[in-house]
Amino acid sequence: MVAFRNTDPSGRTTGLLLRCVLYSLLALGLIIVDKRYENLAQIRRWLSVVVYPVQVAVASPFEGWDWFRESVTTRDALRADKARLEGELRLAQFHLQRFAALEAESERLRALRESTADVTDHFVIGKIMDLDLDAFRERVLVDKGAHDGIYVGQAVLDSGGVFGQVARVGQLTSEVILVSDAAHAIPVQINRNGLRTIAVGAGDTSHLKLPYLPTSADVVAGDLVLTSGLGGGFPAGYPVGTIAEVKRDPAQSLAEVEVKPAAALDRSRELMFVWLKPRVAELPPLAPPKPAAAKSAGVTDK
Amino acid sequence: MMRESRIRRLPVLLSSLVALALAVLPLPPLLESLRPDFLVVVVLYWSIESPRAAGLSLAFFAGLALDVLNGVVLGQHALALTLMSAWATHLRLRIRVFSMLTQCLTIFALLTGYQFILFWIDGATGNPVTTFSRWLAPVIGALLWPMMVALLEKLHER
Repeated sequence: MVAFRNTDPSGRTTGLLLRCVLYSLLALGLIIVDKRYENLAQIRRWLSVVVYPVQVAVASPFEGWDWFRESVTTRDALRADKARLEGELRLAQFHLQRFAALEAESERLRALRESTADVTDHFVIGKIMDLDLDAFRERVLVDKGAHDGIYVGQAVLDSGGVFGQVARVGQLTSEVILVSDAAHAIPVQINRNGLRTIAVGAGDTSHLKLPYLPTSADVVAGDLVLTSGLGGGFPAGYPVGTIAEVKRDPAQSLAEVEVKPAAALDRSRELMFVWLKPRVAELPPLAPPKPAAAKSAGVTDK
Repeated sequence: MMRESRIRRLPVLLSSLVALALAVLPLPPLLESLRPDFLVVVVLYWSIESPRAAGLSLAFFAGLALDVLNGVVLGQHALALTLMSAWATHLRLRIRVFSMLTQCLTIFALLTGYQFILFWIDGATGNPVTTFSRWLAPVIGALLWPMMVALLEKLHER
């Protein structure tokens, strides 16, 4: 039987109500200010430094274990790994051979059509910290923050494709919201025909949805879905996923389309933060501007 | 046993830090939705056991730490934890003489209240989480209460 010891004989709870009201008002004030204004971003950035030791303390045993496992792998395993990686590298280089030429060509063609797509400038690689942020939201904490120049809204990729974007920046860490979060949406287009739409997270890492396509839309399972670069947040032309399933109910005006994400949302450890190249200064208009229709025609891909 | 009224804050801080770490410890996805609110249980324990050592300041700042760690709107956990801790402090003389079962039920009520405030603020700030599994945490927390009391009492006596 567990009983509480009476350490407070005086029972000093005078002012409990007062303190409760004060603290509650303070908390309510914080909620309102944090929701309505951006002033707290700076405070939050420094508060995140205060909790950083806790985050490191929790994440480090797992990292230590990884390090330990890596350092006791056998020579044979390392050799096998090396052979595999060399093979992959050779294949990737083979695929890359024509990339520079194609990119230049694509940029030239885009310039001709006056469509300025955002192009990636450089990357910074961050590691996911092994922490559970919130069981009900698809977010991860990464060990790069404002200190490394990370900014809110920045596009985040992994080796497979688009991973998400930066939702919040701390001094040393940042929070990335996954493309699969129910509150996340990303402008995309179908690679095969340039059809543009928006991919919305479904709340779990297994799939995304394209909820705004009419039943008559030309999509089939297996189509590649790329970022369209519209909206300016993401660079254009990175894979978001492939169409997994298209359900067409003639009674509905919209089709139900599921996309299997290209990024390894539940497995990636390393992420790339992308900086976009500043857009080329626009040329002075020589001819009267073209009708908008010319611009909205499907954009073919490189 | 009457103790000197010297207030010992070390066990309070220590247990709160450990609970804070447990709140973000990575768990397999299946267990993740079953994770009890460790820090809330710890704060409730100290509010009942020794409000002078911990009190509402602990509740407020522990809540703030949770807000920053979880990346939710600042003040959400702080508000919920402050209110529930105040309630626990108010009831503490009664809770201490309750049987274990009644204590568990009271803790369950407090934890549910806590979740409800979180739920309400989530909705009010425009990102509602409507999964049913969030209401499991209070049940697990209440079931863990006897163990937590035994553990924290050990820590307190040292």
